[in-house]
Amino acid sequence: MTRDFTLSLVGAGGDGVVTMGDMLARAGAREGLNAMKTDAYGPQIRGGESSSAVRLSPDPIYSQGDAIGVMVIFSWAGFSRFKSEITPSADAIIFHEATDPVPPEFKRGEGMAIIPVPFIEIAKAASGTGASKNIVALGMLCGLFHLPEAPLRASIERRFKKKGPEVVASNLAAIDAGAKIDFAALASDIPDLNARIEAKKLDYTPGKPKLLMSGNDATAIGAMYAGCKFFAGYPITPSTEVLQILGEWLPRVDGRVIQTEDELSAFGAVVGASFAGVKSMTSTSGPGLSLMTEMLGLASIAEIPSIIYNVMRGGPSTGIPTKSEQSDLFQAVFGGHGDMPRAVLAPADVEDSFHCIVEAFNISEEFQIPVIILNDQLIAQRIETLDEASLVHEIKDRKAPTEEELEDYKRYRETPSGVSPMSAPGIAKGIYQTNGLEHDEYGSPNAGYLMHEQMNAKRFRKLWGIQSKYHFVRRYGPEKASVGILTWGSMKGPAEEIVKRAAARGQAVSAFIPQIIMPFPKSELDQFIASCDQILIVEQNYSAQFYKYLRSFADLPAGRTHVYKKSGGRPMTMVEIEAEMLKILEPASEPAEVMA
Amino acid sequence: MTETTTYKANDYKTELKPVWCPGCGDFGVLNALYRAMAELQLVPADTVMVSGIGCSSRLPGYVETYGINTLHGRALPMATGVKVSRPELNVIAVGGDGDGIAIGGNHFMHTARRNIDFTYVMMDNEIYGLTKGQAAPTTPTGDKTKSTTYGNPEHSVDPCELAISFGATWVARAFSGDIKLVVDLMKKAIQHKGFSFLNIISPCVTWRGDDQFKEVRAKLAYLPADHDPTDRAMALRYTRETDKVTSGVLYDVITSSLDEELEVIHQKALKVKDHPTFKEIVSTFY
Repeated sequence: MTRDFTLSLVGAGGDGVVTMGDMLARAGAREGLNAMKTDAYGPQIRGGESSSAVRLSPDPIYSQGDAIGVMVIFSWAGFSRFKSEITPSADAIIFHEATDPVPPEFKRGEGMAIIPVPFIEIAKAASGTGASKNIVALGMLCGLFHLPEAPLRASIERRFKKKGPEVVASNLAAIDAGAKIDFAALASDIPDLNARIEAKKLDYTPGKPKLLMSGNDATAIGAMYAGCKFFAGYPITPSTEVLQILGEWLPRVDGRVIQTEDELSAFGAVVGASFAGVKSMTSTSGPGLSLMTEMLGLASIAEIPSIIYNVMRGGPSTGIPTKSEQSDLFQAVFGGHGDMPRAVLAPADVEDSFHCIVEAFNISEEFQIPVIILNDQLIAQRIETLDEASLVHEIKDRKAPTEEELEDYKRYRETPSGVSPMSAPGIAKGIYQTNGLEHDEYGSPNAGYLMHEQMNAKRFRKLWGIQSKYHFVRRYGPEKASVGILTWGSMKGPAEEIVKRAAARGQAVSAFIPQIIMPFPKSELDQFIASCDQILIVEQNYSAQFYKYLRSFADLPAGRTHVYKKSGGRPMTMVEIEAEMLKILEPASEPAEVMA
Repeated sequence: MTETTTYKANDYKTELKPVWCPGCGDFGVLNALYRAMAELQLVPADTVMVSGIGCSSRLPGYVETYGINTLHGRALPMATGVKVSRPELNVIAVGGDGDGIAIGGNHFMHTARRNIDFTYVMMDNEIYGLTKGQAAPTTPTGDKTKSTTYGNPEHSVDPCELAISFGATWVARAFSGDIKLVVDLMKKAIQHKGFSFLNIISPCVTWRGDDQFKEVRAKLAYLPADHDPTDRAMALRYTRETDKVTSGVLYDVITSSLDEELEVIHQKALKVKDHPTFKEIVSTFY
């Protein structure tokens, strides 16, 4: 028995592996298990190879898992496309479609059990069609590995109800046929198969159902929770789901959604709607963020609350649109001409995606500043379980100007916080004309250098307020550590797991993951750096953007700061990061690149 | 704002003095706007002026309503955001020909196509004035400008022709020296339900020469009495004219506007699920 079941499903177009992964993760969530599912696709618009990785456990799940325990392969050609992304464990049990024999180039590990299964034949016999081979495989997995079969059957009934009782019955027959596969005949060459299967059986007892959603889902519902009533967007992978979900749901709560002609227009409409007093946001990815950076300057100088939810994919240019990379950091924190304050947040998991969007609205509305959220594709498009009780967050709304403030109303009045009273159309005494030109307290254009200095100072002062009020940071591990891992975004999962494993070995390893990237929680960072003998910065981009960004304001001690960075395209695994950490902890081996 | 208040043209003036050159055609447009607003009794607090960048885009600063002088070419997206999120507001976008057709051309096409219910006034001087005299997409072929030393090598466009082709439902042209007509057309444009486009030939005396007013006046013509503004082909006949500046309402049809269509969608969505609580929304993820 195991408390950690890792599965990878690989197929060609039409094999239905993504549906399989989805059904299994959902079944797990209904039984109260923790679940995480990540899909990968080939570049084809429709069809083509695809894979789905599912991890189920009664314990917390930090990442997708490094080595896969169980695999179902419908197409070896498909598998070969994902070879660099899917690593079977040394003792993996691999089921493959019997009519597609193992190719000679497949590196068969000595401990692996590779079993040909006539999925198509069984499916045909049970349900009349080979197309239900994925359902046969689901039945087989449930039967062998103690996966949640009852909710799976229920979900089949729900999913196929519309297609009629015959379709439901034939799919249930496919499940049953899968559960009854006789492995004594199929795997006669693996005498200890039963023991191997027993070792991989999931050990759990059913609990309270959990929610299952992606980072994009969590962002969309978080936006509604925060009171967003206007969304404008342009389709772009991997953030389009937000446009789609809000397009469906926002009108039900009196909100408005428009799809614009480009990202310039999308963020322009958002800033316009927010000027009109309505909580507004857009979503995009790297290429769109480049275009939106133009309007970001106006939002910053005109001090108009506005949100860009940016899902990072491989870049530059079109790059790798479907895969994760943390390379939009510089664009988000430094992008744009002129001195332009903005806030930047970065969720570290799906649940954080909810908290970050609500926090982004809070910061934006309270400080009248544009806020960019940088989510990793890896979080935005994977689905994972969470507890409904965790979806609670304080909501702050924009303050209307007081009667006193409306006497001789100054839209950009000097205040100690830098935040001035913001009026909106409809308020008779609050009429003002704003612009992207430097302006005086009334908003009238002013090209004097003293006014420019004064207004820059006023706008940048808001960052101090945000920094002192918003401490959105995760810290794991002991107060004093031999190695401190400093990372962000989706790297949180592996980092948290590494800290736990190190503690079990008696090693003092800590991790620091900021969810607010700009203004950076500097005092917390300084404290963390001081508490660790060695610092390991981990990030998924080629040019070490996070490290360089930290260097711009933090004193990272020379000689004891290490950087482990890598281009995107494949999730960084816990094991590879742990190996880097161990090199620092046990310097007998090769040290990681010292960049200070 | 109480309904008993009466607004006079002067009530729409701000304290800011226009930065425009003496003799600029935009003064006529601004004065006509004050008068049109007064005649329609537009409530300043419920009105938003949106502009891009250019000489004429300074206009919102001179009008006592809510106003945004946005980025070069981006007036229409921001005006769209204002109107979609607050359909009850009067929204008027203004700007120049370079702003609206060159850098903002894509937005012009799609805003017209959506037939969103606001007015776009384009002050057309056939030149980039603020950057001191470079050729615009409206500059006639062969004209010498600061950026076309040997004459403009490009073909020009007619903004009204574009607007009609893009799907604007109300399109008119006027000359800024023809104040009475401009006031009348502005009122009609603002009252039109849908996207209304008013192209005002507004001469730039500094970069197109002192003779511009005389030249435009000499070309000034009016639509014949039997012009049918619902006839697209007939409307297009009065575009791309080189020898004439034909004024009046070229095109005027009624079709559903974006805000009306979004309200239809709103009602459809409410039928599926009327004001779900957050708990109800979340429960769909089990």
